[in-house]
Amino acid sequence: MRQHARLLPLLAFLLAAIAGASRAQDAAEPFRVALTGKYPPMSFYDGEGELTGYDVDVSREIARRLDRPVEFVATEWASILAGLQAGRYDAIIGSMAITPERSEAVLFSAPYYVSGAQLFVRENDAAVYSSLADLEGRAIGAVTGTTYQRTVETEYPGIEVRTYQGEPDIFQDMTSGRIDGFVTDKFVGLYNAKRAGESFVPAGPLLYDERIAIPVTKSSGELLKGIDAALADMETDGTLDELKRKWFGAAATSAAGSAPVRLTNGLVARVMLRGFGRTLLAAGIAIVAGFLLAIPFGVALKSAPAPLRAALQFVNDFVRGTPLLVQLLFVYAGAPQLGILLGLSPDALRLTPMNAGVLTLTVNAAAFMAEVVRSGLLAVHPGQTTGALALGLSRIQAFRHVVWPQAFRVMIPPLMNSVVALLKDTALLSVISVAEVITEAQKLVSITFQPMKFYFIAAVLYFVVAWPLMKASQRLERRIRKRGYEESA
Amino acid sequence: MLEIEGLTKIYPGGAVGIEDVSIAIPPDHPFAILGTSGAGKTTLLQCLGRFLEPTSGTIRLDGKDIRDIPREEFRRGLGIVFQALNLFPHLSTVANMTLSPTIVYGESPGTARKRAHEMLERLGIAELAESYPSQISGGQAQRVAIGRALLLEPEYLLLDEPTSALDKDTTRSLAELLGGLKTKTTFVFVTHDLPFARMLAESAVLMKGGRVVARGSVEDVEKSWGGVTRLRSSNGC
Repeated sequence: MRQHARLLPLLAFLLAAIAGASRAQDAAEPFRVALTGKYPPMSFYDGEGELTGYDVDVSREIARRLDRPVEFVATEWASILAGLQAGRYDAIIGSMAITPERSEAVLFSAPYYVSGAQLFVRENDAAVYSSLADLEGRAIGAVTGTTYQRTVETEYPGIEVRTYQGEPDIFQDMTSGRIDGFVTDKFVGLYNAKRAGESFVPAGPLLYDERIAIPVTKSSGELLKGIDAALADMETDGTLDELKRKWFGAAATSAAGSAPVRLTNGLVARVMLRGFGRTLLAAGIAIVAGFLLAIPFGVALKSAPAPLRAALQFVNDFVRGTPLLVQLLFVYAGAPQLGILLGLSPDALRLTPMNAGVLTLTVNAAAFMAEVVRSGLLAVHPGQTTGALALGLSRIQAFRHVVWPQAFRVMIPPLMNSVVALLKDTALLSVISVAEVITEAQKLVSITFQPMKFYFIAAVLYFVVAWPLMKASQRLERRIRKRGYEESA
Repeated sequence: MLEIEGLTKIYPGGAVGIEDVSIAIPPDHPFAILGTSGAGKTTLLQCLGRFLEPTSGTIRLDGKDIRDIPREEFRRGLGIVFQALNLFPHLSTVANMTLSPTIVYGESPGTARKRAHEMLERLGIAELAESYPSQISGGQAQRVAIGRALLLEPEYLLLDEPTSALDKDTTRSLAELLGGLKTKTTFVFVTHDLPFARMLAESAVLMKGGRVVARGSVEDVEKSWGGVTRLRSSNGC
């Protein structure tokens, strides 16, 4: 007891120190801002691979005025609101227009610029198409989930709206003639067309004004007050005007900075290889961890008691029977909500994109490989176990020395196939903003407008790794089929 | 002494495997458990190997209930060579034989290999040491399986239908080999092959419908059953 009494003050001191430290952390807590990074001139990556643009500058200014360090989260537009709700960032400063639907889900700041939806067409079509009405029966493009997409869809049902991940993809289809026009923000369209060296011109008047503002979650009223105060400040001291001139002035005139960015080969190589390194890391972890999980899982699928086996088989079927893309979005956006449902703090289950991606890939790999393990084990005659037990081996020894070596041999070719499939599946991590090779390629495309080049490089990188694996698997398969055990043992 | 006493096995669903089987097998002479298929031999063997839990009755090895004997000790008391042999296809002949001695009984790989080679010599298949099961004939595989079991030096070795995959000549040479083998192990042949049993075993029991219907010398059992022809033909051989 005496010892406890002596320990108490120490404990109290430690607790106080921890509390103090966490308060200090609160003060310096970063202001996490989401944007796509693929929306020049609002947010994009410059030749150095750094985020830049009007939204980026506005974010920095607001953070400075909030006295918090800014932290950018580059994410996909289609899931940007879900990420806000899930608490992955504090605010979206990504050129989001105020709409009634969005206002139901989030709180909007005062607008920080007003723009408008503009139809663009190819210059040599300008005489034919002078407004959206002229495009009845034709196809136009818009970025997925934008107000532009919805407006055209509801007001011009005769126009087919094709949706795209970003402007570079739209430009690609404009050039190839798959679509005859696109609707986007006027500033954005002008800026990008010029930068890409494309002769796309505005057609007709603005479809409507858009008030662009900053959404936060409904529970972030305090933060919103701070943001609004900062915006008002920036309005009165001229900061906002200055930034508008800096970014939109360039769009209206052919000022410097509007030419397509030329990247050095060294930078491209560095960016792509860094991305591919993350691809390999994610795939590598998922393959190894997935296989280690697949062994007990596969054994259970083969020999667990009936009810447990049925349950495991169902889980396995579910994982294999649902798209990996959906699983990724579910884990990434859904895990924090699950945390809240379980009564944990919203941060408890919030995974970084990489962690969410690797976790999902691992579960996926485990499910597919467990099937391989199960069928590999089934290929070994049950007499092998009986024979081993009769010689005094324990069940574990029989598995380890007799059953597994035979089963593993059968498993190698299908396992190799799983490995190749999984490597390719990592491309899907780009939808949850993991900076793997596809995401890096998209960034490069958004500043250079050369999708063919960078996606081709990405494809080659995958193939360089996948091909030797495929060849090795084929060779191994032939060898096992032809020679059986004696040659390779 | 291997004693089976009042052993009964009734399967879930009610099928009777064996009923009230009592057999005493002394350790001095080869023994035969005879019967056609369906006589209950396989069930008895499964119980003896501790692969099946009998419904009632006991099996005692040197006075000890086999359920109470530790695994390692038990497998050195009572070895089994199954009809399917269950050689491990991924291991060579010698590796098949040395697996258990090295990993279960802690023998050094060198000593185990040496004993395996000696055993193969005695079995007349020294040249097969490095062969794999897929490369050898049925008769050779039979000898490898017996050698693998004998390397553990069990007190009793149960051989399940050892001649089922062999032709007449190989059967005779196996009988000659086993008959001439100097070993402390007592062979127990579980078989429908009366001529083979007659060549090797001194005493026998005859099983039918899960029960022991005759016991004594092989000749006695043979007489009481009604001769070789019926036994063999009824088995479809």
